Amino acid sequence: MTTYAERPVITAAPGIAPASKGKNFVKWVTSTDHKTIGYLYLMTSFAWFLIGGILALILRFELTRPGMQFISTEQYNQVFTMHGTIMLLMFATPLFVGFANVIMPLQIGAADVAFPRLNMLSYWLFLFGSIMAVSGFLAPGGAASFGWTAYAPLANSTYSPGIGGDLWVVGLAISGLGTILGGVNFITTIFTMRAPGMTMFRMSIFSWNVLLTSILVLLAFPPLAAALLALESDRIYGSHVFDPANGGAMLWQHLFWFFGHPEVYILALPFFGIATEILPVFSRKPIFGYKGLIAATIAISALSVAVWAHHMFASGQVLLPFFSFMTFLIGVPTGVKFFNWIGTMWRGHVTFETPMLWVMGFLVTFLFGGITGIILASPPLDFAVSASYFVVAHFHYVLFGTVVFAMFAGFYFWWPKMTGKMLNERLGKIHFWTLFFGFHITFLIQHWLGIKGFPRRYADYLATDGFTGMNMISTVGSFLLALSMIPFAINVWITRKSPKVEVDDPWGYGASLEWATSCPPPRHNFLSIPRIRSERPAFDLHHPHIKTEGH
Amino acid sequence: MSLPTRKSRALRLGLVIAPLVLALSGCSKVSALGFPEGVTSVNDISLPLWQGAWIAAGVVGVITLVLILWPAVFHRAKASKGEFPKQTQYNVPVEIVYTVIPFIIIAVLFYFTAVKQNEITEKSPTVAHEITVNGIQWSWQFGYPEAGENIVVTGTPEKPPTLVVPVGERVRYTITSSDVVHAFWVPAFMNQIQNLPGVTNQIEFTANKIGEYPGFCNILCGRSHTYMRFTMKVVSQADYQQYLETLKASAA
Repeated sequence: MTTYAERPVITAAPGIAPASKGKNFVKWVTSTDHKTIGYLYLMTSFAWFLIGGILALILRFELTRPGMQFISTEQYNQVFTMHGTIMLLMFATPLFVGFANVIMPLQIGAADVAFPRLNMLSYWLFLFGSIMAVSGFLAPGGAASFGWTAYAPLANSTYSPGIGGDLWVVGLAISGLGTILGGVNFITTIFTMRAPGMTMFRMSIFSWNVLLTSILVLLAFPPLAAALLALESDRIYGSHVFDPANGGAMLWQHLFWFFGHPEVYILALPFFGIATEILPVFSRKPIFGYKGLIAATIAISALSVAVWAHHMFASGQVLLPFFSFMTFLIGVPTGVKFFNWIGTMWRGHVTFETPMLWVMGFLVTFLFGGITGIILASPPLDFAVSASYFVVAHFHYVLFGTVVFAMFAGFYFWWPKMTGKMLNERLGKIHFWTLFFGFHITFLIQHWLGIKGFPRRYADYLATDGFTGMNMISTVGSFLLALSMIPFAINVWITRKSPKVEVDDPWGYGASLEWATSCPPPRHNFLSIPRIRSERPAFDLHHPHIKTEGH
Repeated sequence: MSLPTRKSRALRLGLVIAPLVLALSGCSKVSALGFPEGVTSVNDISLPLWQGAWIAAGVVGVITLVLILWPAVFHRAKASKGEFPKQTQYNVPVEIVYTVIPFIIIAVLFYFTAVKQNEITEKSPTVAHEITVNGIQWSWQFGYPEAGENIVVTGTPEKPPTLVVPVGERVRYTITSSDVVHAFWVPAFMNQIQNLPGVTNQIEFTANKIGEYPGFCNILCGRSHTYMRFTMKVVSQADYQQYLETLKASAA
């Protein structure tokens, strides 16, 4: 007869008496817990989202009527430069790092990330790099004003003198190093720290997308860092890397977009991942075509490094058919993803709790952004509307549609996991509908504005241009969009003392492993890990009688 | 099935179908979708592609939208349906179909794109006229070599210049920049190209309709980027010759 040792009983640590504020502060800023660092990332990037949003409102108010009402054209250039920089590199990119930090180790059943201290270093690099770039507003001459694309030679010290530009370049290089180290950390964690039974093809789609995004970070951010450091060398040491006499104008465009296009997918993939986590839970079904979906994501990642020059069709210096065809090709795996999402809902038992509502908002908005993307992939059509408000509208549909809609979906979905409290459903729905209409009123009209001929980055227009009415509608929409942050703030405030979530999975049909531990999880995430025998370990644990139909 | 259920089902079906019918019936006569017709040779090539691409995009977009909203409306959880639906995870034939169809769509789009972009970027051995377009911070310099080597019309941010071109004749524009990157864009003509410092770009087209068209620099070029505009004035061939004479006279 075999005998077994008694299994030790593990219980949660007893509640610790509330520490003083100072102790809490020290605990937070010295933490190596991936969840705490993740919360720091989420809170900081959300703060940048609000700051970037205020800058956007300044732009919108200035554009409401012809004439310069509030700021000068130079200030306008600073404001849109920092709006773009903040939204892409201080909000959306670290928001990915935040969600990945909080959720990915839980989903793969790890106790932490592979390099917890490096993780905190990444955060400080991001925080101080970002503050440095934005601190240009306090410098004599103001912040960087050459656009977030910093085209050479406009961004050199002849055409953009002033410390603001240097702070921008070096700040982004520092913050970019944080992002690169974050990518290294996530890749190592996923490859080496998965729980027993968690094979690659049992891993949730969000974690898959974190892996592929991190690989793209390693491909895209080092070239950006190199380009930024070379630009700074041009600015302060007078080197000639981006001197137009040596072809520097095109060299910068190539290097920048070799970073810039994968960056779009660095921003999109994790948020596709969030949507893919939420749809099955509120359809009570597994993801439709799980392996095909992973293949599609790999295809998107691979193609995303081969399409950069579609941002440069109008330069007259790139091979149009190649970059056009590659860009069209991305439409195929993206279409596959749409059908995976639809197939997941199809014949499901669909319910519309707030996270699901946000995912629907994402699907509808991103669909339209994808369609205008296919239009822009055709160089003859790109020649007609490139660098106009049509493009501004297109990338806001793609990026806002993906990042912001999926961010709020993720907040509402994982709020109980992160805080132990549910957010209010009614306020969540008010929040969603205000933001949804605010967004579409602001940006839908901008497609027509672009076709009519309004160039991007213009601070002003003439009354005779016929842009006034459309700009007014857009500004009204942006005001509604800004107002939608109020119900969210109220929601976070009033639910802070709600009763604690006592179950592991408050939504009832959670699939991935984070729903098999408490809300919030203990310091090292799991007191016990369930058997992992499919890509839905938590679902198998909670609903053992339900069988997945294979092929 | 009881009558009320059938009724509400029909009602909900209508809610999904109605916008589809409306969208499709709107296509009976294809409008120019925002662009004027017949203004330039480029416009003649690109406009049908613009219309065709939007029809394809509209059909694909509406079908996908209906497919997204369909389960949201018809496949809602109901107590009568039990707690769990069938846990379908794969359906290989369906997956193959939805992978292959997008390939076919993009193949067609790419074919027309490739043909048309070649027509647009094609350079003729001889053109009727040459004009130079140089970008400076923050205005334009238009040169007319036919009127003389150094005949240049220079604008300022406060007083944007006019580019005068003849109707019905092919013009080659040589595009350069003296300082930073600019771009030469006439929205109505469906065409633009960057003015790159250190690089010489060329575009060719024929303007086909007499009139004035606003033009812009649409690549950020510094403080007064907003005011780097110009007017594209298409005039009769006789008027163009006369304009060249005036330029010569003023230079002399």
